[in-house]
Formats: sequence, C-alpha cells, structure tokens
Amino acid sequence: MKKWQCFFCDFIYDEAQGLPEEDIPPGTRWEDVPDDWVCPECGAAKEDFAMMEID
Amino acid sequence: METVIIIGGGHAGGDSALAIRQAGFQGKIVLVSQESILPYQRPPLSKKFLAGDVGADTLAIKPSSNYEKADIEFLPDTAVHSIERAEKRIVTDDSSLSYDYLVIATGSRARSVEHPDLPAPVNNLLYLRDLSDSKKLQDQLIPGNHLVIIGGGYIGLEVAATAISKGVVVTVLEQQERVLSRVTSPEVSSFYEKVHTDAGVRVITGAAIKTYKLDTAGENIVSIELNNGETLQLDTVLAGIGATPRTELAEEAGLNIDNGILVNEFCQTSDPSIYAIGDCSNHYNPICGRRIRLESVPNAVEQARIAAKAICGSPSPYTPVPWFWSDQYNLKLQMAGLSQGYDQCVIRGEMAEASFVAFYLKHGKILAADCVNRQPEFASIKKLVQQQAEVPPEALCSPETNLKELIQSVASGGT
Repeated sequence: MKKWQCFFCDFIYDEAQGLPEEDIPPGTRWEDVPDDWVCPECGAAKEDFAMMEID
Repeated sequence: METVIIIGGGHAGGDSALAIRQAGFQGKIVLVSQESILPYQRPPLSKKFLAGDVGADTLAIKPSSNYEKADIEFLPDTAVHSIERAEKRIVTDDSSLSYDYLVIATGSRARSVEHPDLPAPVNNLLYLRDLSDSKKLQDQLIPGNHLVIIGGGYIGLEVAATAISKGVVVTVLEQQERVLSRVTSPEVSSFYEKVHTDAGVRVITGAAIKTYKLDTAGENIVSIELNNGETLQLDTVLAGIGATPRTELAEEAGLNIDNGILVNEFCQTSDPSIYAIGDCSNHYNPICGRRIRLESVPNAVEQARIAAKAICGSPSPYTPVPWFWSDQYNLKLQMAGLSQGYDQCVIRGEMAEASFVAFYLKHGKILAADCVNRQPEFASIKKLVQQQAEVPPEALCSPETNLKELIQSVASGGT
C-alpha cells in the first residue's frame, strides 16, 4: 500500500484507507481510482498527483 | 561542478530545489531561506492551522528526507544582501556563494496599513503571511474578543470564517462596495457576503477608516472610527489588503521589473542565468493575453517545474490557466482563469444550495469560471477555460449537460 500526495496541496491519498466518503473503499490502489477523480482539497486532477515518499 | 542557488524557502523555492534535481541536474543545489524551517504549506495558515485543527508539524511540504535524498543543501535563517551578476555570486550575512544558475523565489510581503494615526508599529495590528504571523493571530482568537479585519479579500474572509467558528466577534471592513471585488463578479461577491453574514460576521462594505485610536502607551489600537461616524471598539486588527512582490534584490541587481520580476515563457529573467518564479515574478500569459503576476500555490509549483526544465536543458513554455482555491466554512471555492473584462455571467447549478458554477464569457467564449462545491467538474472547467470554448449559455446552464463532453466536442470541432 502506498501514499500519494497532491502536487499542489497537502492532501494525501492513502491506498490503505481509501476514501469511503467518495465511494473509494479502503485498499483501493491508486491506478484503480477513477481517472476523473480530483483532489478533494484543491481540485487538482488525478494526473497532478505525485508519489509520496515514505521511509 | 555546476551550482544552482535558490533564494527563498517558500512554496516556489522548495519545489524548485526538488524539481531541479528531479529534472536531472547533477551539480550542487543550495536553497537559501530567511526562515528557520523547511518550506511549508501556507494555505492552512488562514484555515486549519489557524483553527488549531492541525499542528505546525503537519505543514511541511515535503519531509526532510526528500531534501536529503535529493542532496539539497538547505541554508536556514539566511538573508541575501545582494546579487553580484558580473561575478555570478550572491552575498549573504557572512559569506558569498557562486552560482551558475540562480532562481529568485522571494515571494511577496503583506501590504501594510498606512495612516497618520499609526506612525509606528502597534502590537495588535497583525498581518498574515508566515507561520509566526499565524501563531500570533491564533493567540488572539479568544471567544468574545472583537477582531476587526481590514480587507474583504481571500485572506480576510478565510480568517473571518475561522475566527467566527472559534466564538470570536468578527467585523470585516471592505473599502469597495463588495467583498472579493478584485477577483470575482458581483454575483459571487454577494453570495459570499451572505454566507458570512449568516454565519454571524458583520461585513461593512464601502467602509473608510477615519481614525485609529491608540491606548495611552501608544502600543495597541483600541478603536477604529469610520467615516460614517461609527466607532468600533476592538481587541485585534488583522489587515489583509494585498501583497507586494519582493523584488528589491532583483531590482538592485539591475534586472527588468514591472509589478514583479519580468520573465519569459521559461521563467527566465533579463539575465539568462537568472530565473524568477512564484509571487515575485511576472509573465506573459497567452490565455489572458497580457502580462500577469499571480499569487497562488499552483503558479508557484508550476513555475518551479518550468524553471527546472529550462535549467536542465529541456525547456518547455509556461502556458497555464491561472487557478486558485479558497476554503471558507464548508464551501470550496475554485476559480479558473481571470474574469476581468467578461461581458456575460452564466450560472450553472443553484446558488441557494451552495453548489454552482459562475461562468464568465467574453464575446461568447469562456473566459473564466468560479466554482463553489463543484469539485467533480473542476478539471473539465479548467480545460474549457484553456480552450476558451465557445459554448451556448443554455448548454452551460443545463443540468443535462456533461461538461466533460463539451470539451471533447469542442476539441473535435463540433458543438
């Protein structure tokens, strides 16, 4: 499971947690998030997300 | 070995350092900052952080390990005194550093209140620009305290929303006849004014400040008298009256300046080894058809990427749709394009339900749009603004219309 951080704001998509409030169940991998999904914080498109480095 | 020096540890500067490494730069990267901590998110300073919902430890844009891995040398608490272009070096407090490429990301500073009653700084007149400003303001958000906010722009209204939620008594003074007058239409302004009023904020438009009354020690403002004769007793004043670009270093170095450091489509200044990005830079925007200076996170991070590509020898021009966001209460305002000069405003959705898009058209083409709680449509709207799409107003209004399909049909030449 990975985390992805929005390029523009501090929003992090955590695959382990998903986004149940947007009907994305826990464990949903980033590639399975719909292409037209946008950052709930700032509205950036999916293509603007970047990989979050986790140590 | 080549060296890039970045002046400024804000959003633009921090992203610039990482983007330059990511673009393949092999040399030394030095990030010089006047602040003592790594680059951090500023948008929460008027919202989640100010409200106390998140701590300072959550604000870092990237963890320190990212800078270490990218081998970026971070110089905190360091002021740059001058740029010596002939020698290609910068002079700091205690040393001078040579560069092959320089990135200026000095940002902007809050415009200060000027009034004959305020010959010297006072303790309770605050501004909001950095973390320490936000902490100072946070200390003043005490239930029952009266906070007077000068300026009904983004900063003023975001702080108003946060402060009222903390039980603070809030008055917003706006000089113009409506809030957000510089950035949006009368329709959206009146929507936001009503939202704030309903939440308990007192919004006074057309407000002109006549006098500031100080305490006997002259250290704090105790009241403000308006031109209409009303006097507001107060505890704290926050001024959110705009920002000015920090261009002094560039100006002294002889770079071309006009409301920001002038840059070309690759963020390059009049000196080819010097780039300028973020709030302090001014670029020609082909979509707006004029030079603009933007104060926004998207502009800062996108320009950081553009400058990085140019420095690493694979330039690609900057042709963005300006966009912004502002969170107030449970409302997510997202704006694409600049609406100045529109001749028609078309509303999609319901303002009364706080879910709508205000499209701004000029000669039938989409110039800009303000969206409230329409996140799912925002990506499509940005593309329509970029295309300057010509869409019949009825189609924009109709709930039957899928905006995404409008993009495709515009792109394929149909309607």
